Amino acid sequence: MKLITVMPVVDLEKCKGCKTCVKVCPVVAIGMQDKTAVIDVERCRGCGDCEQRCPEYAITMALRDEPVLAKVDMEGLDYDEIAKLCRAAKFHPEQVLCYCTATRADEVAAAIMQGAKSPDDISYMTGMRTGCKVECIEPILRLLEAAGIEPKPTPGGWQWYGRTITAWEIPEAVKEKYGARGFYFDEDIELLNRIVNAPLQGKE
Amino acid sequence: MRPPITPIAPRPSQYGIDPSLVKTRVAELPGMTSLTLRELFPDLPSVIFPSDEGVSAVRRHTEQALSNVDMSRIKPDHKVNILSSHHGFTLLGGEPYAEMLRTIRDVIEEKTGCSNIRLRAGVGLRFRETEEYIRRYKLDEYFKGKARGVAPVDEGVAIETEIGTLYGIKRIYDADWIVHAHNSDVREVHFHRMVDRAVKPFGMSYARIETRSTYHQNLGPRAANFTARAIFDSPYVQDKFAFSCFLTVAPHGILGVDADNNLYSLNDRVTEIGCRYYGKMMTLFGEIDECIAALDFPCPVVYVFSAGVIYANFVAANTDLFDLSMPLPAYTWYTEAFYGRKGRPLLPDIPLLNPAVKMCLHSYAWIGYPSAFFSEHIPTVVVGQAQADLFNRDPQNLTYMKHAVISENTEAAMDFARKVTGTDKVLIFDGAPGGINLSKPLADLLR
Repeated sequence: MKLITVMPVVDLEKCKGCKTCVKVCPVVAIGMQDKTAVIDVERCRGCGDCEQRCPEYAITMALRDEPVLAKVDMEGLDYDEIAKLCRAAKFHPEQVLCYCTATRADEVAAAIMQGAKSPDDISYMTGMRTGCKVECIEPILRLLEAAGIEPKPTPGGWQWYGRTITAWEIPEAVKEKYGARGFYFDEDIELLNRIVNAPLQGKE
Repeated sequence: MRPPITPIAPRPSQYGIDPSLVKTRVAELPGMTSLTLRELFPDLPSVIFPSDEGVSAVRRHTEQALSNVDMSRIKPDHKVNILSSHHGFTLLGGEPYAEMLRTIRDVIEEKTGCSNIRLRAGVGLRFRETEEYIRRYKLDEYFKGKARGVAPVDEGVAIETEIGTLYGIKRIYDADWIVHAHNSDVREVHFHRMVDRAVKPFGMSYARIETRSTYHQNLGPRAANFTARAIFDSPYVQDKFAFSCFLTVAPHGILGVDADNNLYSLNDRVTEIGCRYYGKMMTLFGEIDECIAALDFPCPVVYVFSAGVIYANFVAANTDLFDLSMPLPAYTWYTEAFYGRKGRPLLPDIPLLNPAVKMCLHSYAWIGYPSAFFSEHIPTVVVGQAQADLFNRDPQNLTYMKHAVISENTEAAMDFARKVTGTDKVLIFDGAPGGINLSKPLADLLR
């Protein structure tokens, strides 16, 4: 869940049409018209990625007149199914996946059950990955994969490239080679498994 | 009573309030004093900075360290990227790190005849931070227009590693040779746990979001830093790696400069420095029974520091971050992730935040790092509406102020904190060089 209070404003005099903002926007809310950036403010989740990466400093963030709430309502969904999907991706349903928006695994699973097919769909629906924009791409990809969805990166975009390895997939040869260096692979897997199977604390 | 040490000054930045709004430093409040670290630990070695020689000592030591480094593979027509990170610019005002970077450039040019030497400056979660430092220290002029900040959302490059494909930032690697220019300050011990500390930037400030997410979400708290080793050991990176040059840092200042063609040899040396000099500071801070933690430094909440110990490590000082048999410190992102809906850890053996921190007095600290977990679990008073407004606009901190109260000024905030907590022990995280600013009752305890 995220309350979106800001939105980007493009200075058309400064915009050179380089498309950097288009390539970094996590919800794919930016397009080009007449060689300048055009932002779909309804779709924007106020992350500021475009403002932070514009090489011309052509974008500023302004307060919205009315904040917008991005939240997936879990009412009407079977929570057992939500929990099953989370655990299939090796997350506890209440585990926090986005440290900026405090989005939990169950909300992401619910978004997928409501039709999200890609990381940008999930970011649009939950607000996740629109805070720091850095740390939570892999949990999204893991949950989509657990749901049998194989999203494709936006052509030419830099939003994300691919799912990477998890603790459970580290080759035994790597564990043997580096375990003595202080990397506690198996012990961390044991901890993560205990988390995945921990009891639910319940709704807020 | 020894007077407080002059704290690091507020900095103009898009991530902090205007320095003119910082009216009173916490160290200026009545009853504040200081301890020098040598007073606490007489065995601490001498430092080259701060010293009477000033920043020229850094240049001299960098030249000396680089004299033993083999640069023979760098040819005059090659391109070299000197890789740097934001963290170095937060140490002792930033000038020592900037001077080390300038010196590395000069020595490479002098020894190899190569002049196409670029500075690439990576970041944490504030994508323009190193652009600010490049301007502040005039590094673009020094690097002849070839200095630029890079961010983890910039165009990536796939790197094949022993654990599959990971991703680096393309502009980090767009040269014939890379030089890893960093420092040994331990900083995020809760993340790297002193395992391959010197290698960490390859999995972090030089890396794309997929790699950083692997580190913080996929591998677990004690295996996380393997992402850095996997990338560094990859043939792609090894083919480009020339050498490393580090400021060696202890809680009381810069010890010297170390450089090596072998990063793992350098890593062993900086690991020893980290354990030897920071371990005792953290142990000492773990003995504080109660206090008000006052944040007053130009950095995000987690990174403000006192005696080399960052706030993120102080809130976990009830646990031994150096003990690898303990899976989770009281604070790390994995720990934060494992708090359930009712605001409690999902497992009974997950340690809670340091109970000695009775209140956080947020006098001056930056946005640009998700910090709501702290205000949610530690009573927090923030100084000034302008700072509260700044946090309310930060996409990483939209709920920070939901759990904090606002005070008009630093004096009133301290008065409030003392009355509410009932303690006069105040530990100030203001980066005081060579010592700790704190209240007299806490100084008496630590002595």
